[in-house]
Amino acid sequence: MIKFTLNGRIVETDAPPTARLLDLIRDEFELIGTKEGCGEGECGACSVFVNNLLQNSCLIPIGAIAGADIQTIEGIMETEQFKLLDESYSNAGGVQCGYCIPGMIMASAALLSNNPHPTEAEIRDGISGNLCRCTGYNMIVDAINLAAKKGDGLWQKK
Amino acid sequence: MAEKITAYRFDCLEQTLSQLNKEDCAIIAGGTDVMVLHKSRRGVPPKILKSVVFIDHLSELKQVNQNQKDLHIGACCTYSELLEHALIPVALKNAIKSIAAPAIRNRGTLGGNICNASPAGDTLPLLYVYNAKLRLRSVNGERIVAINDFIQGPRRVQRDPNEIVTEIILPSVLEEDAHVVFEKVGNRNADAIAKVGFAGYIRINDARIEDVRFAFGAVGPTMVRSLNIEKKLVGKTLPLADSDIAEIVADFDKIIRPIDDQRSTAVYRKIVALNLLRYFLSLKQYQTK
Amino acid sequence: MSLKDISTSVPKKDHKGKVSGQLPYISDVKVENMVYGVLVRSPIAYGKIKSIQLPTLPEGYEAVGAEHISGPNYVKIIQEDQPIFANEWVNYIGEPILMLVGKDLNTLYRLLDEVKIDFEEHQAVYTLDEAIQQKSATGITMASYEFGESLENISAIEQGAHQIIEEEYDTGYQEHVYLEPQGMLAIYREDEIVVQGSMQCLYYIKNALISALDCGADEVRVVQSPTGGGFGGKEEFPSMMACHVAVAAKAVKKSVMLVFDRSEDMVVTTKRHPAKLNYRTALDKEGNILSMCVDIYLDGGANAGLSQVVLQRALINSAGVYKIPHFHAKGYVLKTNTVPNGAFRGFGAPQSFAGIESHIGHLSKLGNFDPLEYKRKYLVKQGDPTITKGIFRDPILVEDMIEDLLTASQYKTKKAEFQHNNPQNLRYKKGIGTSLFLHGCGFTGSGERDHIKATVKLLKSKDDLVSLKISNSDMGQGIYTTLSKIVAKELDLPYERVLYPDPDTKEVPDSGPTVASRTTMIVGKLLERAAKKLKTQWQSGVEQEAVEHYVHREMIPWDEKTFTGDAYPAYSWGVNIVEVEVDTLTGNVKLEKVYGNYEVGKVIDERIMKGQIDGGLAQGLAYGYLEKMTSKEGRIQQKSISDYGPPTAMDVVSIDSKVFDNPYADGPYGAKGAGELTLIGGAPAVQAAIEDALQTSFQQIPITPEVIIESLWRKEGEGD
Repeated sequence: MIKFTLNGRIVETDAPPTARLLDLIRDEFELIGTKEGCGEGECGACSVFVNNLLQNSCLIPIGAIAGADIQTIEGIMETEQFKLLDESYSNAGGVQCGYCIPGMIMASAALLSNNPHPTEAEIRDGISGNLCRCTGYNMIVDAINLAAKKGDGLWQKK
Repeated sequence: MAEKITAYRFDCLEQTLSQLNKEDCAIIAGGTDVMVLHKSRRGVPPKILKSVVFIDHLSELKQVNQNQKDLHIGACCTYSELLEHALIPVALKNAIKSIAAPAIRNRGTLGGNICNASPAGDTLPLLYVYNAKLRLRSVNGERIVAINDFIQGPRRVQRDPNEIVTEIILPSVLEEDAHVVFEKVGNRNADAIAKVGFAGYIRINDARIEDVRFAFGAVGPTMVRSLNIEKKLVGKTLPLADSDIAEIVADFDKIIRPIDDQRSTAVYRKIVALNLLRYFLSLKQYQTK
Repeated sequence: MSLKDISTSVPKKDHKGKVSGQLPYISDVKVENMVYGVLVRSPIAYGKIKSIQLPTLPEGYEAVGAEHISGPNYVKIIQEDQPIFANEWVNYIGEPILMLVGKDLNTLYRLLDEVKIDFEEHQAVYTLDEAIQQKSATGITMASYEFGESLENISAIEQGAHQIIEEEYDTGYQEHVYLEPQGMLAIYREDEIVVQGSMQCLYYIKNALISALDCGADEVRVVQSPTGGGFGGKEEFPSMMACHVAVAAKAVKKSVMLVFDRSEDMVVTTKRHPAKLNYRTALDKEGNILSMCVDIYLDGGANAGLSQVVLQRALINSAGVYKIPHFHAKGYVLKTNTVPNGAFRGFGAPQSFAGIESHIGHLSKLGNFDPLEYKRKYLVKQGDPTITKGIFRDPILVEDMIEDLLTASQYKTKKAEFQHNNPQNLRYKKGIGTSLFLHGCGFTGSGERDHIKATVKLLKSKDDLVSLKISNSDMGQGIYTTLSKIVAKELDLPYERVLYPDPDTKEVPDSGPTVASRTTMIVGKLLERAAKKLKTQWQSGVEQEAVEHYVHREMIPWDEKTFTGDAYPAYSWGVNIVEVEVDTLTGNVKLEKVYGNYEVGKVIDERIMKGQIDGGLAQGLAYGYLEKMTSKEGRIQQKSISDYGPPTAMDVVSIDSKVFDNPYADGPYGAKGAGELTLIGGAPAVQAAIEDALQTSFQQIPITPEVIIESLWRKEGEGD
């Protein structure tokens, strides 16, 4: 039995310890915001926070995260930071097919929490593990810029 | 149905070593290589046939410290942790920045990169020119082995089943007079696997070369390095004569034997490896010091 | 929100569900009594199945194959050559033979490994070059067309020419890498099969299902799920998956889900056709073009699919945006024993534009002209004939677009500066290049009139909400938003009161597939008309509907046999300028600046248009230098995203773009097509920029670092 915190709630599972966190989140806990795009850590669609760090849930065997604090997009949906990103992505036109977007939002939040005023190069690096095939990234970069500008104070390191 | 899998996640290194002494296990640090290597298809766990032991949480493996001019890096330090650590040399940070992307760097470990022993391992060329040594521990004690002895071939390392790589030692790396260059050549600017890797190290005293080292990645089963070739340059003064440069390039031309694969061609790998070497040897910027 | 200017951006209809991840794509769906399907695929490129040995299947696990298909065993596309399940011959590695269905994926994967198939292997045709050599052998040429000036006339011109330039140009595969892998679910009900999934063309799928299941139109129903990117990859391919799950659902009387793993998706789904383009051009003493012959060969892969239509578009665009005197072209789709190629944003045009822009660029260098000035000499003008004897009817703004972009990019200053500075930097060289291009909007030829016959419906509820009832998919390009805007504006309704539910063939008429840059122009116009009609009949509080059918505006009729007539009702136009820096030690190319001017009639939503520009151009640029896919003995070599290498955020730069107004009478608010246009100019501009940086010529895309280094190495050898 493996125990960890998922979106603020302590959960348990008897899935095998090598099971992918991604499958657990989607199948057992029925949270669909974490998507599978490649299964090899190359697209970022499955990005989650593990102890506040951005990670690819497709590469995490659940045995490794016993006791950890896991957050998915569902876990941050009610935060002010998410609302600001939501609005910025809308205003900048950062969303097309949408499949990469929850992961992209997680990467954006991770970046801004560490670096509230990133340069363009830092933004590009921050989302470099999140593949988007629709937008060519520029409007996503704009969205993150917008969220940085409007989010003064919101992204200060805790 | 999924087969029963045993996994261990002990609170300390001693317990981990003791279990490894009883049972041959697959060791998972960050897992960013293991999970891909054993990947099944969509929706199911990877196929790992042995019991599994997780080690990335062990605090004994996450320290970075200085011992005189040597740097000791805990094997399970993640790339991101190293990027933020003041003691890590700039060249190593540059190499780490070229690895994958933030989410992977938050999980992957330096020890994992070494034990994965990929011919294209991103940090390996640099660790070779740093003369990195590895500390391995088991219930029977510990030993220290040079990285080039440890890595034997693609995914083959000289580790006994009961051993764990606990730290990476970079001897004398904190002396500041060496100039170190790292170049990773990938198919794109992030999330790429190296097609060619190059690390160059040079220490000069009054225009005379005191020490020089080169290592090439992704152009053979393991990193290519040659002490014999390096020795030829020791004592020479800078700038190097064209004939000296040509000789060194020709020497490496003989020992670099890359392959064609889905990422690149043998011809490309060889030309680029030699280009980067030639460029390093012709560089002017550190010759005026 | 009321809409003053149609171009002013509004929030996208599907934004909330996408940003929160709560909009369910097909792999997020679970239904009662659902089992998974996995496909047993051919491991060989060409041969005969001798026997199939199945492992003992546990209870609840079944094998579904050709014998379960009630109708004919092919996927209805154009020709009847793509089996649903191969039952005698296999023609490519990865061709589906059987489907195993059952509850647990792990068990299915194990069973998959235990299926034993005996083949009698035959000599396969692996490459386009081999196919070209054997093109007169039976079964190799799947389609061909020839048109233009007679070869006798051209021969006579060539005899009197100062010189004749021949070039051979190759283009590679391109993989869509839509972020959501292909997925399809068949929901089993006694009276109907509901097929739901990631798709662009609901009625293509429905028609394929009616044929495969040999059933009535009311026994199958197709519903589009939110679709995570298409780019053409979900045009014809999903029809096959739909047949798989529907046949299986009927056979096992359960709902069947089929979702591809990324590597499976990369290896077995359609890609952009690799092509070979041969140019033969006669020049006079001054370097002016006297005549040109173009031969195009497309690698169709193992099945015809849509290849003949792709070839048509490639041929129609074979002279680019130029008026070439005495032009002749012919083209072939050839069969190889490789994964079938199919639709991809641009649909044959990207190959042709890469080729012709490259060739014209090289001709300009021969005569020591600036490439852009040389291109401008031949630029088509309003009223000029097309190469198929149609007419460019509408105003063409390309000259203005070029002038504007020259200023914005400081093209001439940059070019001179690079030429001056490059010799001083031993490692990095900079270059600047241009491309001029167009895209024919909508189906080629008489497709709309003869095959599609689109119908749209608007449905007004009692509470005066208006719903769009059309069969077009939003796959990210934003038509939920743009088409709703058109209807809202026409009806003077707030945008929020216009709805566009996920299309379901039970609810919507066939308004055609979501392809060919036709949706905004054709379907949008029909909706505009339907809205006008609804407005005149509007009665508050009453349920009402308005229906409109496609009406063909006759121009010069298209004749596919002679390959003459107006191939398209309208054209969209573009100009790109790209600056690069090339690392001569590694051959790596870095984009520095990217500029684009476009003319698409009228923009329906500025932000959505910018998204099409940036996204299309990123794909187009990458097609020219970054993305590389190869096949070796029938096997795709790049099975992971990183090995293939689509751009990351660190590979692209911000794009300076502008869109010119030039309203088109038959488009809604003057809009023409925009989605494919933006991809086309990327590769040729990046090629021209790399050539400028290195002062050399290339005869292929992608110009990968490997190609660059080999070329530099050869050049060095010649210099020694």
